[in-house]
Amino acid sequence: MKNIILGLAVLTTVFAACNNSSTDTKDNTTSDAQSTNMTVDTSANKVSANAETKATVSIAEILSDYLKMKNAFAKDNDKDAAAAGNEMLKAFTSFNKTALTPDQAKIYNDIADDASEHAEHIGANAGNIKHQREHFEMLSKDIYALVKTFGGGQKLYYDHCPMYNDGKGANWLSETKEISNPYLGKAMPTCGTVKEELK
Amino acid sequence: MTVKKKIVIGLFIGFIAIQFIQPARNKSNSILPTDIEKIVAVPANVSGILKTSCNDCHSNNTQYPWYSSIQPGAWIMASHIKNGKAMLNFSQFGELSNRKQQSKLQELINQLKDDEMPILSYKLIHRNADLTPAQKTILMNWAASAKDSLSANN
Repeated sequence: MKNIILGLAVLTTVFAACNNSSTDTKDNTTSDAQSTNMTVDTSANKVSANAETKATVSIAEILSDYLKMKNAFAKDNDKDAAAAGNEMLKAFTSFNKTALTPDQAKIYNDIADDASEHAEHIGANAGNIKHQREHFEMLSKDIYALVKTFGGGQKLYYDHCPMYNDGKGANWLSETKEISNPYLGKAMPTCGTVKEELK
Repeated sequence: MTVKKKIVIGLFIGFIAIQFIQPARNKSNSILPTDIEKIVAVPANVSGILKTSCNDCHSNNTQYPWYSSIQPGAWIMASHIKNGKAMLNFSQFGELSNRKQQSKLQELINQLKDDEMPILSYKLIHRNADLTPAQKTILMNWAASAKDSLSANN
């Protein structure tokens, strides 16, 4: 009899736990949409909290994490790339938006919303460098747009690799004029050309 | 009664008991204005593939097979649907920014190219959800042109 009670108790706990998660699904439809807005909101609050200390627009932190990530991919290092991804995610949430004009804020939020997701995927996928690089390709487009809008604060090169993605090609940003390919890594380290110099 | 027998009976009672607890169903018959079909052109053949192989976990409308009501299967399915929709929801595609819509379509292409989707556990149960190479090509070409049209709109 003890065993029956024990068995039932275990089952009750299991389904109580499962049931909680399944009720979440109900509001899932709305919460999906809201979650992105919520992240933006929290970062906005944080920003207003330290508004007095700093009010210049600088993407330096985000950019530095991006370049760290790029250099990790060039060395085929999935773990360092993931670490940079997690750092970048933090940099996006703590970004100081107080000095942004409403138009700039709109552009920033748009880019940050997309880029954060890529950074998150790269951060969560150490061990799957192929998947990380797919997100890095999309992230590079976002970071390029960010640099174009706000300025990189340093000399940058927009490089192109014609071979990645079955010949469809992909771009990335680099701090050096020498090519160091983050898509093909050690297999083709110098494959690529400088498309544009950004100041 | 032996201990073993008691455990078996206990589990059986538990199994019956959990049948009465069913998770909320992911079922909506209305097509939202944010549906992907309202955002980009979706030809009939693509729409058909999305219905049989993608929408169960990537939209607000799941086609439930009869056995999906048997617990604990219904919980497992509910969790798959929740995760799937969190990554991509075709019913609410229009809520995303243009930039993100393009990213999602690129991810769709990448996932198909890498043979990551549909996931194995789903294909094992839904045998007709598995995509042929030809179907994959149709989907990938569609996603690529849909992405181009979004990029032109921007």
